[in-house]
Amino acid sequence: MRTGYARVALGGTLALLMVAGIGGGAALAHKEKHTADQLKAFEDVFMEQVKLGDALFHGDEAAEKQMGTQLSKTGMACAMCHPFASDTHPHEFPKFQEQMNKFATLRDMINWCIEKPNEGVALGTDTDAMKALEAYITWSNKGSKLDAGRH
Amino acid sequence: MDELQRTRSEMHRELNRPGERPAASIGLTRRTFLHRSLLAGAAGAATYGWFPLINTLDVAHAQQTFSFAWVSDTHLYPKTVNTRFVDKAVRAFKEVQAMSPAADFMIFGGDLAQLGDPVELDLGNDILKEVKIRKVFIPGEHDWYLDMGKKWEALFGKSPWSFDHKGIRFIGLDTVSRGPDYWTAKKMTPKQRMGHMSALDGSVAGAWAGVGQDQLKWLDQNLASWKKDAPVIVFSHNPLYEYYPPWNFWVRDWREVHEILKPFGNVTNVHGHTHQVLYNEIGKMRSIGMLATSWPWPYAPEGVPVLTRPMVRVDPGDHFDGVGWGRLTAGAKVENEYMMWRKDVFAEAAHDSGTGDNGNQVLRPRIADNEWPFYGAYK
Repeated sequence: MRTGYARVALGGTLALLMVAGIGGGAALAHKEKHTADQLKAFEDVFMEQVKLGDALFHGDEAAEKQMGTQLSKTGMACAMCHPFASDTHPHEFPKFQEQMNKFATLRDMINWCIEKPNEGVALGTDTDAMKALEAYITWSNKGSKLDAGRH
Repeated sequence: MDELQRTRSEMHRELNRPGERPAASIGLTRRTFLHRSLLAGAAGAATYGWFPLINTLDVAHAQQTFSFAWVSDTHLYPKTVNTRFVDKAVRAFKEVQAMSPAADFMIFGGDLAQLGDPVELDLGNDILKEVKIRKVFIPGEHDWYLDMGKKWEALFGKSPWSFDHKGIRFIGLDTVSRGPDYWTAKKMTPKQRMGHMSALDGSVAGAWAGVGQDQLKWLDQNLASWKKDAPVIVFSHNPLYEYYPPWNFWVRDWREVHEILKPFGNVTNVHGHTHQVLYNEIGKMRSIGMLATSWPWPYAPEGVPVLTRPMVRVDPGDHFDGVGWGRLTAGAKVENEYMMWRKDVFAEAAHDSGTGDNGNQVLRPRIADNEWPFYGAYK
């Protein structure tokens, strides 16, 4: 039902960019003024990742299967301690994180939560699942004021 | 007059301003404090200058001093999924049974199970046998929406109910079973229905927390012959006021509840669901939010009652931290003690607080669970 959903959306978006004439040279950007369709396409790419991250964050089985992740072995989902992604504080990272006793990124903290409270399997810090979780967390906290380094 | 007396005198003047106040029968002990901003007239709960203790209130309605215990929000999974919630529930039940002097009864305030699974409810029923004293029950939404309460009622009986004990009328309400039908039109399976209900921040189940017209009528009739100045303690899973509707930290018909309770001068609501330290006063009703044994919820991004002294920020790496149960004593006054399994219950400063450290946080509701049928089912 959800298999390949994000991939299809991404493919469609790239096709749209090709039509708009900016997809041919991968390293090029901003050579032409943006159209409304392009902006919409960019947003669609982002929101697909937000939705995927939302599903992962809430322990959705299909999303976990799709991404090949095991974010929890206890039945706990991220959202059970962080409804609306509250208290995730993406606007404060990177910062010293007491639990890890190190200067940490949000991705480090996500992995700490997966491994410790959730007893799941940590994600590669640059994986699609990690980026989707980060997208959801930052989107949920959109409007928060940057407060770098705050503990 | 020493500083403490001056403080209490000042508080007394504030609490007895023109207009109605709750009957002064809740003692606020170690674990339940009023916030200084009440005295300062400040809005919001951001000021950190706490009063030490407010326990001088002295209306003697109850005939004898006695204790009772509150346990709720155990959120049990089958043991094959995890045993951490079982361990904590067992610890709470053992501590309740070991109370000295013994509690007259224990109220279980709902959310025994996580997903309403009969295995979870049977497990809960089994470990509840640790408690030999009288037990009374009200349901939580996690107990209900898999089979619409069939298993729960078979094990623990129906709500609402009431009984009189040593001069106090105790009432147990069901605030969970009258949610709007969000499942029929979408042809959800029972598991899918439960999945949406079990996500606190879900948007599909809507404003499910409510007392309902039939139960409001029952409440009105139940209290019709009760003396207006005699104490009433109302147990409910959800708070009987509006704290944060997106997480159903309320009942949608709380105003009607208050209309019924308005003539009574000594009403205390004890509730679960919020998994955190909470205290509020609305009209003449005091309201105390109780801990979960399972895990603490963060304070909502807005609506935290100004009278609440926030609990301390807890350690997410220790699943016994920030949780526990409640020991209440009723007599000349009613006191609540948060039996949280840690040394410090309350924040002393903003940076240690569950609310004070979130000044720059702005949140938005989730998005994916409304995109049926792609998302929404929990494990």
